Amino acid sequence: MFRFRNHSISQKLRWMNLLVSGAALLLACGAFVTYDLISFRERIIRNLSIQAEIVGSNSISALLFNDSQSAQKTLSALNASPYIVSAAIYTPDNKPFAAYWRAGEDKAGRLPEHPVATIKLSFKGGEIVVLRPVLFQGKVAGMVYIQSDLQELISRLKRYALLVGGVLLISLMAALLTSVMIGRSIAAPIVQLADTARIVSQEKIYSVRAPATGNRDELAVLINTFNEMLTQIQARDTALEEARDHLEQRVEERTAQLNAANQELEAFSYSVSHDLRAPLRHIRSFSGILQEEYGAQLDPVAQGYVQRIRTGAVHMTQLIEDLLRLSRLGRQEPARQPTDLNSLLQAVLQELQPELEGRQIEWRIAELPVVECDSGLMKQVFANLLSNAVKYTRRRELTIIEVSYSMRDGAPVFFVRDNGAGFDQRYADKLFGVFQRLHRAEEFEGTGVGLATVQRIVQKHGGQIWADSEVEKGATFSFSLGVGRDTVREKSVVAAASGEG
Amino acid sequence: MHGIGDRELRPGCGTRWLTIAALLLSPIGIADLRAQMTPTDYEVKAAYLYNFGGFVQWSAKANALKNDAFTICVLGQDPFGATLDTALAGETIAGRKVAVRRIVKPPEAATCHIVFISSSENGQLKEVLAGLDETGALTVSDLPQFSQRGGMVQFILEGNKVRFEVNLAPVEHAGLTLSSELLKLAVHVKRNAPKGN
Repeated sequence: MFRFRNHSISQKLRWMNLLVSGAALLLACGAFVTYDLISFRERIIRNLSIQAEIVGSNSISALLFNDSQSAQKTLSALNASPYIVSAAIYTPDNKPFAAYWRAGEDKAGRLPEHPVATIKLSFKGGEIVVLRPVLFQGKVAGMVYIQSDLQELISRLKRYALLVGGVLLISLMAALLTSVMIGRSIAAPIVQLADTARIVSQEKIYSVRAPATGNRDELAVLINTFNEMLTQIQARDTALEEARDHLEQRVEERTAQLNAANQELEAFSYSVSHDLRAPLRHIRSFSGILQEEYGAQLDPVAQGYVQRIRTGAVHMTQLIEDLLRLSRLGRQEPARQPTDLNSLLQAVLQELQPELEGRQIEWRIAELPVVECDSGLMKQVFANLLSNAVKYTRRRELTIIEVSYSMRDGAPVFFVRDNGAGFDQRYADKLFGVFQRLHRAEEFEGTGVGLATVQRIVQKHGGQIWADSEVEKGATFSFSLGVGRDTVREKSVVAAASGEG
Repeated sequence: MHGIGDRELRPGCGTRWLTIAALLLSPIGIADLRAQMTPTDYEVKAAYLYNFGGFVQWSAKANALKNDAFTICVLGQDPFGATLDTALAGETIAGRKVAVRRIVKPPEAATCHIVFISSSENGQLKEVLAGLDETGALTVSDLPQFSQRGGMVQFILEGNKVRFEVNLAPVEHAGLTLSSELLKLAVHVKRNAPKGN
């Protein structure tokens, strides 16, 4: 096929017009010509029959009185019709009585022995044969036979063919002409619209507009709406740009503010590290001296007071250290290096030794994978979590602390589980807030900063931390590190890669 | 209608005897034998008499004298014999049965439509014709000069063919009308008042 659907609109309109008019004309002409030819053929037959009747009635007496000459004379009148090829009058026993041939016809063997009325139609050598009895007093006195050729029909058909052809040609040209003219009013605006759309889309120029037609038809509606949409897009574009500029400006402002805040914070931590710790040191050391040197001279109440001063100072120092660490974290970017968590855990456990004195602890530590993280910060995480676990299981006879991990979506999720005091799950989100403690200081000591620090570290690694617990049923602290599958490698692989044994 | 008399196709003498011989050898009776041969003159004339009936109109006065049957009469010595009867048996003219009669005197011809005057009446033709005057019948004969002597239709032998001549004077006198279809076939159409004998 000739890919009709890819033609332009003008071409389609043209084709449609041509096809429709052509088809309609052909159908109409075909129908009329066919009808006419059929009725013409019938007319020919009717005429021939009438002629045969007339010849017959004029030949009765000739037949009866055996006057073939008279019959011949009657027949010869048929030369008035140029289409009659031959004619004959037969006696009742089918013997030719008189015959007629058109001038110039080949007479040999043309008359049938037993004439049968037929209508043989073909474009070559087609003929119509009519046979009529001649009646005298109700009995057959003879037969009249007339044979006509189809020239009349054929020449009529030829004339029709020419006529139809001519009409078809003229009307197709007219159809072509009108389709060209109408096409302009339909196709041209569409083409222009298409062009405009293409320019807008390809070159991102929203200032162009499709040219409007003067009409009010759907096409005009389309064009106008299209232009309106472009205007809207332009307006939105401008607004967007403005907003973006504005945004950039705000971002700059915020960044400046942020920097200022950070600087304040740094200043603060510096001041804390220096100015706060110095007096604290005094308090600690002098209260310490007081206890050592003069403790014996003091009464128990006074000794108690001194002890409390000392405890408070130590606690405060710890608090300040923790806070400083926390604030320092804010400025650090965690280093990412493949870290063997197992050795890290062992180190942490070593440091925890003092707290493990006299404790019955069942450690269930799984083989942890190697992950990319900041080893120092990760050590703090585990130190804190394990220390908490140890702390909050103090009231148990047998402490069970489990450290393991599971894979979720290709990333490891580590957890530390204990069977300690647990906490009320309702306040779980408060756990990680600074200075938030869900237990009284008398039950379990602590600064309330540790978990906040752990959360900060985990978040810096792009991970998350959460806790599940039930009061007196232990707690599970789980965290992910935001590392994907490709950065987690099993220990053995790493060992092999780095040549360890 | 048989006996249309295609006499040009009659074989020559030699072949004729051969035909007879051939036919004799086949198991056909003598009667059939005669039927196989071409019709005789009188068979043809008998057929013509019948045929005339379709091309003639009789006057009202004449019709008043006639019966229901279409009557063909032979006046005088019958030259046809059984031929006429067998030829016209069961035929009709205009729906009327055809009857054949032999008569001797003209008055008997009152009910005749067509009267064939035998050659035996040659001597008293004038009286016969006069006597037939009132009957309004069509007078036919093969007497020589019949039409000249006041007869209406005269049979003539032209070569081998039976033809006829018409004299319109006695036709009109008897109030008869002859169709042009018939007249066009006549060898001669005249309108002569009858001459003397």
